[in-house]
Amino acid sequence: MRRFLLLLLMPSFASAATLVVDVRDARGAAVADAVVYALPEGRQFPPASRTAVMDQKNRTFIPHVLAVQTGTAVRFPNSDDIRHQVYSFSSAKTFQLPLYKGTPANPVWFDKSGVVSLGCNIHDRMSAYIVIVDTPHFGVTKKNGRAEVPTVGAGRYALHVWYPEMKDEPAAVPLTLAAADRKELTVTIRK
Amino acid sequence: MTLRSFQAKLVYLTVAVLVLLQAATLIAVHVAGQRTMRRGIGEELRVGSRVLDRLLAARGEQLSQTVRALASDFAFRETVAIGERPTITEALENHASRVHADAVFLVSLDGNVVADTLKGRYAGKPFPLPSLVREAEKRGKASAIVTFDEKPYQLVVVPVLGPRPIAWVSMGFEIDEPVLNDVRRLTSLDVSLRNPAAAHPLLVSTLRPEEGDDSQVLLHPLQTADGSRIEAVLQRSIAEAQRPYRRLELQIFALSTLALIAAVIAAFFFARGVARPLHRLSDAAQRIERGDYSTAVDIRQHDEIGTLAGAFNRMRTGIAEREEQIRLQATHDSLTGLPNRTLFFDRLSYAIADAKRNGGWIGMIMMDLDRFKDINDTLGHHFGDDLLIEIGRRLSQTLRESDTVARLGGDEFAVMFQVTDPRHAENVAQKIDAALESPFVLGGVSIEISGSMGITIFPQHAGDAATLMKRADIAMYDAKKNHSSFAIYEPGRDEHSLRRLAILSELRHAVARDELVLHYQPKIDVGTGRAVHAEALVRWNHPVHGPLGPDEFIPLAEQSGNISMITKWVLRKAITHCGEWNASGVELTVAVNLSALDLFDAELPTYISGLLSEVGLPASKLVLELTESAVMKDPSYALRILRDLKNRGVTLAIDDYGTGYSSLAHLKRLPVDELKIDKSFVLNLRNAATDDIVIVRSTIELGHNMGLRVIAEGVESAEAWQILKTLGCDMAQGYFVSPPLPADEFRVWIRKAQNGGGGFVPAAAPSF
Repeated sequence: MRRFLLLLLMPSFASAATLVVDVRDARGAAVADAVVYALPEGRQFPPASRTAVMDQKNRTFIPHVLAVQTGTAVRFPNSDDIRHQVYSFSSAKTFQLPLYKGTPANPVWFDKSGVVSLGCNIHDRMSAYIVIVDTPHFGVTKKNGRAEVPTVGAGRYALHVWYPEMKDEPAAVPLTLAAADRKELTVTIRK
Repeated sequence: MTLRSFQAKLVYLTVAVLVLLQAATLIAVHVAGQRTMRRGIGEELRVGSRVLDRLLAARGEQLSQTVRALASDFAFRETVAIGERPTITEALENHASRVHADAVFLVSLDGNVVADTLKGRYAGKPFPLPSLVREAEKRGKASAIVTFDEKPYQLVVVPVLGPRPIAWVSMGFEIDEPVLNDVRRLTSLDVSLRNPAAAHPLLVSTLRPEEGDDSQVLLHPLQTADGSRIEAVLQRSIAEAQRPYRRLELQIFALSTLALIAAVIAAFFFARGVARPLHRLSDAAQRIERGDYSTAVDIRQHDEIGTLAGAFNRMRTGIAEREEQIRLQATHDSLTGLPNRTLFFDRLSYAIADAKRNGGWIGMIMMDLDRFKDINDTLGHHFGDDLLIEIGRRLSQTLRESDTVARLGGDEFAVMFQVTDPRHAENVAQKIDAALESPFVLGGVSIEISGSMGITIFPQHAGDAATLMKRADIAMYDAKKNHSSFAIYEPGRDEHSLRRLAILSELRHAVARDELVLHYQPKIDVGTGRAVHAEALVRWNHPVHGPLGPDEFIPLAEQSGNISMITKWVLRKAITHCGEWNASGVELTVAVNLSALDLFDAELPTYISGLLSEVGLPASKLVLELTESAVMKDPSYALRILRDLKNRGVTLAIDDYGTGYSSLAHLKRLPVDELKIDKSFVLNLRNAATDDIVIVRSTIELGHNMGLRVIAEGVESAEAWQILKTLGCDMAQGYFVSPPLPADEFRVWIRKAQNGGGGFVPAAAPSF
C-alpha cells in the first residue's frame, strides 16, 4: 500500500537546530508513540554507548515504545512483585530474559537497527517496542502527537517515522536543517 | 333354542361392541402414534441438524482454543520466529500430533504457506483460505469447514504471537466418525456425511452398511468456507421410533383382549342368569300347553323374573281350576249334574266303536216329557227345574251304573245301555216308564208326568252315534204322535223326516223365489147354487219335490216361524186377485186361512185393512178362516185380534170345526160369522145311517142357532150334496163342485158359473 506524507517546512533560527514533529493520522488526530528520527545523508553516526530503561510496572512495559540509538544497552528492571520473562523474536535482537525479579545483572545490548517486539512469556498481553535507529536524532510522540528532537546539527537529513502496527514504512521526508534552526513540521500518516 | 340364542345374542353383541370400540381405539392410537412419530422424527431430525451445527461450531471453537494454546507455546513461537523451514515443519508435525490434527500449515503474515505437514505440498504457495486468515486477524482465531482431498475438515487459523502476530498457524481436523457418534449419542440419530462431487460420495457414517433402510432422512448441507458441498444426512430409523408406540399398542391390545374376555364371561353369566329362569318358565309354559298343571315353576328370585314366576304359578293354578270347571260344564248339565249331549254323544260313539270290535248291542232311548211346558208355565221355572233334577235322579236310580243317563237339553233326556238281546231294549223303556209313574211331590205340589221315548239299537238301526240319536228322536216323535209311552224306530221313517227337514230349510226361500201359487176352490150356496165364494189355498211348486199341499208345509212354516210371511203373501195375492176379479165384473168373496200364530200378530188387522184399501176391495169381500185350536192357544189375546178384524168388517169363520175340544160357550164368545164343518165328517156322508150325519146335522143346527152360516167341506159326492141340502147347510165346498183351481182356470170357471144363468146346478155326478 502506498502512503504519502505531507510535510510543512518551517524556518529554523539556531546552529544546533531543534526539530519538532507533529504526527497526525488521516483524520488529523494526534498519534502517540510514534518514533520520528532523522538519518543524516551521506554519513553515519558511530554506535552510541548509552543505556536506556524499559521498566515493567503493573504488568505493563513502560514505555510502550522506546527509541534508542544503535549500540544502546537497555535495562529491563521489574518493578512488579511478580516475575516476568521478557523475550523478543525480532530479528533486530532476539533475546530472552529468564524469569526474574528486580533488575537483571546485564542489560541487553541493541547493536542492530530495527524494531524489536517485546513480550512477556507469562503475560501474553504485555507488549512493547524498542525501535533501534542509527542516529541520535530521534523522538517519540507524546499524547499530543508531538515529538521534540533537540540539537540536531545543520545538514541534510531524511526524516523517518515509525509507529506500532505499521505495515509499510512511510517514505522518508528529505530535510535540510540550518544551525540554530527550530523546525516544526507535521507528518500525516495513513493509519 | 330361542333362549340359547338370546344368550348367544347378548354375548355376540357384547363382543361386537367391544371389538369395534377396541379396534377403533387401537386404530386411533395407531394413527395418532404414527402421526406423532412422523412429526416427532421430523422435529428430531431438524433438532439433530441444529445439534450437528452446534456441535461442529463448538468443536471448531474448541479446536481453535486448542490450537491457540498450542500456538502460544513459547518454544513453538520461538521456532516459528527464528527457525528454518525443516525445523518449523518438524515443529508443526510435532504439535499436530499433540492435538491429533490431520494437517497443519504455517502461513506467513503476507499470506503464503511457509510450511505444512502435507509433505510441503503447499509450501511457498498462497494459503488457499485467505478469508480465514482475515477473520483470524480480526477475531484472533477462525474456524471453518473445508474440503481437502474430498474429505471434510474443520480448519482452524490462529496467529503465532511474538507477541504481535508473526505468522498464522492453521490446523485441519477431519470430521470423522467420533464427531458423528457424538451427534448420535446426543440425538439418537444416525448421521452420515456425503460429498456429492466425490467418487464415493459416502464419506463417513454412524450406520453400518446393512442399516439405514426404512428410515426418515433429512439432508443438511454443512456451511463450508471454500464453497465445497458437504451434506450431512440425518436419519431416524422408523422401526426404532415406532418401538415405544408398538409397545403401547401391544399393551392396549393386551388390555383390550383381557377386557373382552372379562366382558364375554360377564355377558355369558348375565345372559345365563336371565336365560335359565326363562328357559324354566318356557318349559313350564310347555307343560301347561300339554295340559300338565301339576308342576310349579321353582324360581326364587327377588327380581322381575321372580315376580314373573310367581305370577306364572298363580296363572297355572287358575287355569287348572278354570279348565276343570269348563271341562265339567262342557260335558255335564249344570242343572242336573248329568252328562250333557256332548258327553253322551262321546260315550255313545265310544260304546259303538267298542261294540264294533267286540260285538254286542247298544241301546239308546231318547225321551222328552209330556206337558212339561205347561208345568213350567203354570208352576214356574223353579218347579220345572226341580222336577228335571228329580227325574234325572230317578232315571239314574233306575238304570245300571254302567249305563249313561244324560240330559240333552230342555225336557229331553237320553239313556244309553248295553243289551245282550235287542228285545231287552223295550224292557229298559218299561222300567223308565215305571220309574216315572209315581207322582212327584215337590214343594208340597204333587204332580204326575209321563215321557215319550224313542228307542234305537246299534247296530240294527244305525251304525253311528249321530244317526242313532237322530233316529231315536224320530221314534220319540212317533211315540208322542201315537200317544204311547215308547216306540222303537221303524226303518224308513228317517227319510220322511229328511224331506221335512229339507222343506223346512227351503221354505224361507219359497216366497222370495216365487214358488208359491194360489189355487181357488169355490164354495157354492147350497140353496141357490150361486157361486160367489171361494177359498184361497196355497200350493208350493217345490223345484225337487213337486207341488206340495198346505198340509205338508204349513205346519213346518209354523214351526220355523215363517208362517207370518206366508200368510201375508197369501193375503196380498188373494185380495189382489179378488179385487181384480170384482173389478172385472165377477162377484166374489175370497176366504183365506189364518194360522194360530197369526193371531198373535197385533199388526195383522192393520195390515189387512191396508191391503184392502190398497186394492180397493171392501172388507166384506174377505173371509178369514181359523181353527178352533188356533183361537184356544191364547183365547183372550186371539179374541182381541178377532174383534179388531171383525170391527174392520172382515168376515170370520171357524175352520175344521169338530176336531178340537172347544166348548160351545167359548165358541159363543167368538165374533165369528161362519162355521166350517171338518171334512172328515163330510167325506163319508153317503147314507143317512152314519154317525157323521148326526154330527153334521147337530152342527148345522147349532150354528144356525147361534146365527152362524154353516159350510161343509169335503163334498165329493152327489149324495153328500143332497144330504147337506136336506140338512139346510148353507154352503158346500169340495171336489163334487170343483177341485181347487189355479187362478186363471178359476177365473174362467167362476165367470162361466156366474154367467151361466142360475149358477151352479149340481148334476147326478160331478161334471167337472
